[in-house]
Amino acid sequence: MRRGVLPLILPALILLLILTIYPTIYLYYMMFQSFNPLVDFAPRFAGLDNFVTFANDSEAWYAIGIMFLLTAITVPAEVGLGVLLAIIFTSRYLQGKILIRSLMLIPMSIPAVIVGLNWKMIFFTYGPLNAFLQSLGLPPQPWLSAPFGDPFNVIFVLAVLDVWQWTPFVMLAVASGIESVPSDIREAASLDGATGLSLLKHIVLPMAKTVIMVIALLRLIDSLRIFDIIYMLTFGGPGNITTTLPFYIYKVGFTLTAAKANIGYAALLSVILLAMAMVLVIMTLMRLFKVEKIIWG
Amino acid sequence: MKKSHVLTVVITLACWLVCIAYLTPFIWMIATSFKPIGEWATPELIPREPTLRNYFEVLVTGGIYGVRGHFPPIGRYLMNSLIVSICISIITCILGAMTAYAILRYRAGGSAFANWILSLRMIPAVAILYPLVVLTRTVGLYNTLGGLILVYPLVTLPITTWFMIGALKSVPKETEEAAMLDGCNEWQVFYKIVLPQASGGLATAAIFAFLFSWAEFLIPLLLAPGEAAMPLTVFAAYFSNQYGILWGPLAAAGVIISVPVIALAIAIQKYLIRGLTMGFVR
Repeated sequence: MRRGVLPLILPALILLLILTIYPTIYLYYMMFQSFNPLVDFAPRFAGLDNFVTFANDSEAWYAIGIMFLLTAITVPAEVGLGVLLAIIFTSRYLQGKILIRSLMLIPMSIPAVIVGLNWKMIFFTYGPLNAFLQSLGLPPQPWLSAPFGDPFNVIFVLAVLDVWQWTPFVMLAVASGIESVPSDIREAASLDGATGLSLLKHIVLPMAKTVIMVIALLRLIDSLRIFDIIYMLTFGGPGNITTTLPFYIYKVGFTLTAAKANIGYAALLSVILLAMAMVLVIMTLMRLFKVEKIIWG
Repeated sequence: MKKSHVLTVVITLACWLVCIAYLTPFIWMIATSFKPIGEWATPELIPREPTLRNYFEVLVTGGIYGVRGHFPPIGRYLMNSLIVSICISIITCILGAMTAYAILRYRAGGSAFANWILSLRMIPAVAILYPLVVLTRTVGLYNTLGGLILVYPLVTLPITTWFMIGALKSVPKETEEAAMLDGCNEWQVFYKIVLPQASGGLATAAIFAFLFSWAEFLIPLLLAPGEAAMPLTVFAAYFSNQYGILWGPLAAAGVIISVPVIALAIAIQKYLIRGLTMGFVR
């Protein structure tokens, strides 16, 4: 590498190294310590205590399970709905295509906190959703405590929010994927007698397949970070029903409200979350997101 | 009627219905922000007596219907958000362009470096925030705008770098080579030749950084919980947790916070998907 390149790369490199190396070292150190600022004066060495705690902590395992449940609902729903919408939104019969696509950008441009605030209004006991249900003669629901009689259903309410916010992203990305299929291929196929759905099924979707896979993986990775809407709507509740792993880390390490509140334990949970995210990231980078090809290809 | 006419009507209608269904919650928030106090809990969409009072109270007086002190006016938090987001968009679009140029033209750090930057975009921030709180406390930047400006690049720099890689690809190599022959070094070529030609991409990258820092919630929640540096998003969360049913002012705050970013997102919509998919979808 030439000398003149260094000043270009060093500022960003140093900044990012400080922001990542320090936390990494700190986490690996803290993971073997026990420290609850409410009780202890200073961290003390705890050996593998945190690991034992983790192995026996049903709340942590529940948090991991619920995080993946949320992922397992939102990602297929977003990708399925998104692809479906992309197909009709790229139709040449659609009038006002440019305007409608700008409007569909709105949900994903709203900061997630405001999305939470907005839906809090919608789900309010005397809010519009319940009023709508009543006008249809259906009973109103306590959406954020026990919809349809079961507190566990709050998970699905959160999933709906995430799907609402991110389906348009999938739709717009897949739509660009579909539109990047060269028009002469489509024309050649339609001369061969392929029409409408069969054109879509045999030519367009296979060509957009990689795009769909990458989008699905990006959503998967992002769904491990869902935090803002949980903070705004349920704060992990009722009980700990919507406490996903990121939110559990927040309760264990920051608000110190969890039963096992401890900075050292939070560090271990953070390392576990990071490890799971890294597996997904590496899968994305190795299998689909060919960095070499995208940059220098 | 011909088959194509029927299809046009059916598909157009279906798409617009989906679109309206999608926007309903947001439209509801806008409508609520114009409702007077007696209508906050009513299920009608259109305010019977529309008023600007909610906006006035959120922005100026900070109280409900003439009673001051229900909540602090939004101005201070708006300033915090603006200062941080503007600083971040300037800093990270320039740093991003520099890094992108070094990666694109000189393969600085090879594909490992590019991969590493990309992976930073994907790590769950909550996992490394406690150490960052410790870090900012140690350097005296906890609870300051400076602390936020120090940490936000973790989120924005990967995005601007990857966006600029795509944007710089369209800058022709020939002028750069000519400048090299005239004795410019890599750094001089970058800021004399490349930057001016990439100004459009640079502006878009700056908007991206602005969007992300404006919407950031978790980092300031933990790094700047005090008044001094609290941005709008954290303010909105506190506000709504304490005064959950003051829907009018809450909705007004929500509209004030989201409208600028919606406008910016629509302004760069051609590049939005490319940026959000880190250049994978063009």
